[in-house]
Amino acid sequence: MKDYAEPLARLIDELKRLPGIGQKSAQRIAFHIERASREDAERLAAAILDAKDKIRLCSVCNNFTELDPCDYCTDSRRDPEVVCVVETPYNVLAVERTREFHGQYHVLHGALSPLQGIGPEQLKLKNLFDRLKTGKVKELIVATSPTVEGEATAVYLSKLIKPLGVKVSRIAMGVPVGSELEYADEVTMLKALEGRREM
Amino acid sequence: MPLRETEAIVLRTYRLGEADKIVSLFTRQLGRLRAVASGAQRTKSRYGGTLEPLSYVRLWVFERENRDLLRLNAVELLESFFAMQKDYRVQVAAQYLAEAADRILPEREVNERAFRLLLAVLRSLKQAGEINRPLLYFNYWLARLGGFLPDLDRCMACGRALGQENGYYGPGSEGLLCADCRVSGANQTVAGATRAMVQRACAAPLERWLTEEKAPAGCREARRFLEEIIETHLERKLVTRPMLEEEV
Repeated sequence: MKDYAEPLARLIDELKRLPGIGQKSAQRIAFHIERASREDAERLAAAILDAKDKIRLCSVCNNFTELDPCDYCTDSRRDPEVVCVVETPYNVLAVERTREFHGQYHVLHGALSPLQGIGPEQLKLKNLFDRLKTGKVKELIVATSPTVEGEATAVYLSKLIKPLGVKVSRIAMGVPVGSELEYADEVTMLKALEGRREM
Repeated sequence: MPLRETEAIVLRTYRLGEADKIVSLFTRQLGRLRAVASGAQRTKSRYGGTLEPLSYVRLWVFERENRDLLRLNAVELLESFFAMQKDYRVQVAAQYLAEAADRILPEREVNERAFRLLLAVLRSLKQAGEINRPLLYFNYWLARLGGFLPDLDRCMACGRALGQENGYYGPGSEGLLCADCRVSGANQTVAGATRAMVQRACAAPLERWLTEEKAPAGCREARRFLEEIIETHLERKLVTRPMLEEEV
């Protein structure tokens, strides 16, 4: 005998394919949907399809957007001379939360990771170079993650871009705010020392 | 649920859920194993940069009965190879080492010599910045320690000594063929002088070989042959190998 009726089992299987959702979470969500009204279920299904149909990549920065170019690229209050390079669209939100960055973005949709078969060809670099060739961009801030992959991507980008006469900077790495120095490992502490600034 | 202490090299990590990671480790005292690092994806993770691929660490893990995955308790960094990211070619080479070790080494089988090999090759990559000699040395010894290194002096089909003749191989080869036994597809060659160089160079410690100013001719050719042997043994392609070809 099957554990669940076929449609419910299929729903659980589909939910399990989502990132961060295991068997238990998938069951909980599936039962929640099953208990909810038909309107709620339809609204969820419509939202998924709507996002799938209407969201595309911005032709300038590769961020997810409904309108092309995206709001960040068309906002006249943002400085087009400074471009922040990030790995994923949700990294844009992490930078935006600071409310201190007023430039534009470029989303790579990944970082160099030979182990995962991600080389330079797999990253969205072409339109970045198109932007740089216009001569409008004066500074590129590389805000890839402080991981082996993120660091390799940053170094790779800087080697390619510096000869174009564009200033390339890297976000600082080091001790997170609110943590204690005694718990910092050697790599983190070394990066913090290397990135120290005069006060 | 005993707590075990061991030295290890982090081979790779996988995201697990919102905040955790699964870490593939090659440990000195317990062999290759995988462990869960709770909260390792968080910015304020207690693991910090210790779990970055190819870090040499001392760690403490909880072993759980009838479970494949162990649970990491604490990690202390012994040596970081983070600085290798300055050179993309070296990064690709380092990740090739991690992939080959991760695929070839059997789980939970202690292999002190393979551990020392991986560590020595990583250190030489970091110091020399050159990739052909360290990778050739690694491939040779990985195949030899794994028991699948072919006889470099003889044709694997007829057993005839190759002497100074070229040895031939192709995709899926388990060894070298002489000109008479050569089959279609065996288009790659390894020269006699190259084979002699490999056996001479790999018999000594890698650091000593790297003190010689320049990589000898044939290093790349021999490295490619041994990579083919490794892939044949694994019965699968290594993801990092084509990138190595592009970048070297």
